[in-house]
Amino acid sequence: MTTQTVAIIGGGPAGIEAAKGVAELGFKAILIEKRDRLGGTPDEQKYAALTPDLRDTQTALREMIAPIENHPNVEIMYNTLITDAEGSLGDFTLKGVQLGKEVEIKAGAVIIATGFQHFDPGRETQKYGYYEFDDVITLTDAEKMLSEGKFVRPSNGEVPKRVCFIQCVGSRDRRLGNEYCSKVCCGISSKQSIEIKKLIPDCKVFIFYIDMRMYGYWENEIYWKAQEEYKVNYIKGIATEIVRKGDKLLVKGEDTTFRRPMEVEMDVVILAVGMEPSEGTKEMARIFGLKQNKYGFIETIGGPLDTVSTNVPGVFAAGACTGPADLEDSVSAGGLAAVKAMAALRKLEAVTA
Amino acid sequence: MIHLPILKAADRKWETDPSQAPTHDLKDEIFQLEKEGEWIVQRVPEPYFEVKTKYGRIKKIPLEKTWHHKSCGQCGHIPGYSTSIFWLNRQFGLDYHDPTNQTSCTAWNYYASATSNPEAQAAVAIRNFASAYKTGYFPLIHCGTSFGHYKEVRHALVHQPELRRKVKKIMDRLGLPFVIPEEIVHYSEWVYAMRDRIAERQVIDMSHIVATVHPACHYHKLIEEDAIYSEEIYGAQRTAIVTGTLQALGVQVKDYSTWFDCCGFGFRHILVSRDFSRSFAVQRKIEVMKEEANPDVVVTHDTGCVTTLDQSQFAAKAHGKKVGVPVMSDSQMAALAMGAHPYKVLQLHWHNTNNKPFLEKLGIDWKKKWDEFEAECEKIRRGEKAYLTWEDADA
Amino acid sequence: MEFALDLSANKYADVPYEEKERLFKEMKSDERWPHVLYGCYECGICVASCPSARFYDFSPRIIAQAAAREDVDLLYTLMNDSVWDCSQCFSCDRCPRGNSPGQIITVMREVAVRNGLQSAKEALEGYGRIIYKIMSTGTQVSPDMLQPNAFPDWGGHVNEISEHLEVWRKALPPETLHTTETGWKVDEKTLIELYLIWHMTGVMDMIEQIDEGLYMILVDVMEERLEDAGYDVTFD
Repeated sequence: MTTQTVAIIGGGPAGIEAAKGVAELGFKAILIEKRDRLGGTPDEQKYAALTPDLRDTQTALREMIAPIENHPNVEIMYNTLITDAEGSLGDFTLKGVQLGKEVEIKAGAVIIATGFQHFDPGRETQKYGYYEFDDVITLTDAEKMLSEGKFVRPSNGEVPKRVCFIQCVGSRDRRLGNEYCSKVCCGISSKQSIEIKKLIPDCKVFIFYIDMRMYGYWENEIYWKAQEEYKVNYIKGIATEIVRKGDKLLVKGEDTTFRRPMEVEMDVVILAVGMEPSEGTKEMARIFGLKQNKYGFIETIGGPLDTVSTNVPGVFAAGACTGPADLEDSVSAGGLAAVKAMAALRKLEAVTA
Repeated sequence: MIHLPILKAADRKWETDPSQAPTHDLKDEIFQLEKEGEWIVQRVPEPYFEVKTKYGRIKKIPLEKTWHHKSCGQCGHIPGYSTSIFWLNRQFGLDYHDPTNQTSCTAWNYYASATSNPEAQAAVAIRNFASAYKTGYFPLIHCGTSFGHYKEVRHALVHQPELRRKVKKIMDRLGLPFVIPEEIVHYSEWVYAMRDRIAERQVIDMSHIVATVHPACHYHKLIEEDAIYSEEIYGAQRTAIVTGTLQALGVQVKDYSTWFDCCGFGFRHILVSRDFSRSFAVQRKIEVMKEEANPDVVVTHDTGCVTTLDQSQFAAKAHGKKVGVPVMSDSQMAALAMGAHPYKVLQLHWHNTNNKPFLEKLGIDWKKKWDEFEAECEKIRRGEKAYLTWEDADA
Repeated sequence: MEFALDLSANKYADVPYEEKERLFKEMKSDERWPHVLYGCYECGICVASCPSARFYDFSPRIIAQAAAREDVDLLYTLMNDSVWDCSQCFSCDRCPRGNSPGQIITVMREVAVRNGLQSAKEALEGYGRIIYKIMSTGTQVSPDMLQPNAFPDWGGHVNEISEHLEVWRKALPPETLHTTETGWKVDEKTLIELYLIWHMTGVMDMIEQIDEGLYMILVDVMEERLEDAGYDVTFD
């Protein structure tokens, strides 16, 4: 019966955790995923290692997915896109398309876990030349290389001698309209800088930043580690332009410590691109009539006291579809959404009984 | 062939999407204010070209019936610049107006000495726009700074009702309508829109010419969304202005590592702190261009930029600096490509850095051309004719 | 590290705090201020793109940061020692917070000029003839300003130009350019409208503060022409 079924849209970390919670507490979970496999963005974008503990992404994802893959209470619908929805708490009907065929899903509650996409540097105000220069790449490009156990200059395949990160690309920016901080990029850049140093110990690695934001234990586990053990150079001052000089890149910024403009040669520049709502998140918001904030993320209505409830009773949102989130946030929210969804359904049962 | 799990730049596809623009379309607000009776919006006359700006919005560029808002520095010191713009219009038989009821935008004053204020600047702008409106011709701005400054003024007038009220009061006193044009159009945008038509009439081959482009700061950094960008040129990551025009003429445009740098003009600096302008123009622009691109010519689209880059090379040469590249505007290049006289039209004798080798490379007999020009000057000296006319210019 | 720009707290200690505060309040009350100054997280993008920062000990970041902190003492120092180095390129408009250090500087300069600060007068010394030309003729840098003594570093080329000026100006096809004292031909009526704008917007009062001699010459020229055109306008 639908009052004991929760539909979860999005098979990334938040969705997987939500499905697990629902299933282990005896309800039925229908996990709907648009790709042909689970894992979400960390899997699709071939993340190499997770922040902060540098655990291999695929190993960690395997660990997450294994309990639900063959769980009797979990039905996974792969290659499925939700196109419409109607109904209310206790009685939702979702319509979708799976490999060209129309499908219908009935559930008592819905959890949206459609996540984020990375900021596209083509929209950037600063002149970073991502679409002009091979050796300007993003964090996800770097992850893809690192997941194959290598890190090279895309232009010529050679091992770089000087690599830098530029933080806050697409975040903390009024001109772009993304005033928020994307939360994870400082940590990811620091993590990647450690991975690069491990692969290429002689490579000089720089991180150009406005503020270094690694909260809680990330401070000592990642930031201090990168700076002290791996001698990553943290320079306060962000870059405004990347141009070509010979066969190298020239990065122009200010070294605020020395109070002067700086121009430094680099072999590879990694843009720390921020988070934006994914197309799926925006679509689900539209389909379910969910309130979105000005950035297009789904708005949760309880502030810090309730990170998963939306303006539509029975529809919850977990993870990066609500705003910048790290893995801990997503997994925690997935679990919380499962609890709240089931509680709402239990309450409904009690009332109608 | 290296295996890469990621794409190289040439395969990374970027498409500008106006729905992702971070700003409101100012035009919506401009027309809304017209509806509310705040001002009159002068429409771009048809036919017009449509070009894309930074966020993918469409900008209208009029073909003709243009009111030419002239540039101080061009008309005063490098008059071949203005002449070439008019010459291009005439070659295509286009209807234009060259007004005497026009003042400087006075931005030079405002930026250099701050002996002005936003109210005066806005009033000067609207006065010029009203003058154009009364003739029925649409303003086409010759100077990069005027263009940038007028964009600034437009932005302020849209968002500051108190400023609008003050300017309206002044216009009422002068008996002039409070008019704002639908678009603020720079002449280089017109040249860009016309580039294929200009190329059709090209008679001087430029395929062996290497040029570096200097984009004017005030064109693309002030109110940056209102500048021409194209996916075909620099992947819409840098402004397409001037580069697009030169490429249509077959010129090889080469990149250099200080492309985004200011030329160092500085307004007050070029007149009273000239070591700054000179050092900047030479060390940050000309020397870098020469070292990295070795161009035959530097092409830009603003008065101050042409002046600074051209004039600064003389003193630098005395210090053994690696300089010596002629500088001219995109309109002069376009006119030259169409066979315009280097002295009667381009008026290259007002430029400083030696451009004769460049003319030679284009197969132009500058000695003969100079003699032709000198002959006209002699007639003027002897009182045989009062002026060099447009007919003389093409004879 | 030694810096040319002295930001120490003791600079201008002799100027009363009330005076510095008054000037700051004038900046802050400018209509532009809230549009050109938000906050500053010292990212350095403005300095990175600034030509003046490479030549002078000049920092748009320090100016924006001082304005954001509302540091009255520091702003007074910068208004005197720093703002005239800016070359108005507006590369600093790239600021991700939405600030425009270039416009902050423009506001500061206007306050300096309106209040007749000595540093403003000094910065504009030698600039009087330019102001005169633009204010009275409505065009800037006229052909007759191309004199060797005005541009010695432009070389012998300027000599050649000034020698041939009259003929070469007649050898220009556009009719509006047959001038030597102005950039192009400007109608009398246009000038009258320009003078009325100067009058109604208080610009002449600003000029009076920085160069009284220039002010008097300009006022004479303008009042005379306005009178001839039938306007009863004085600049007092």
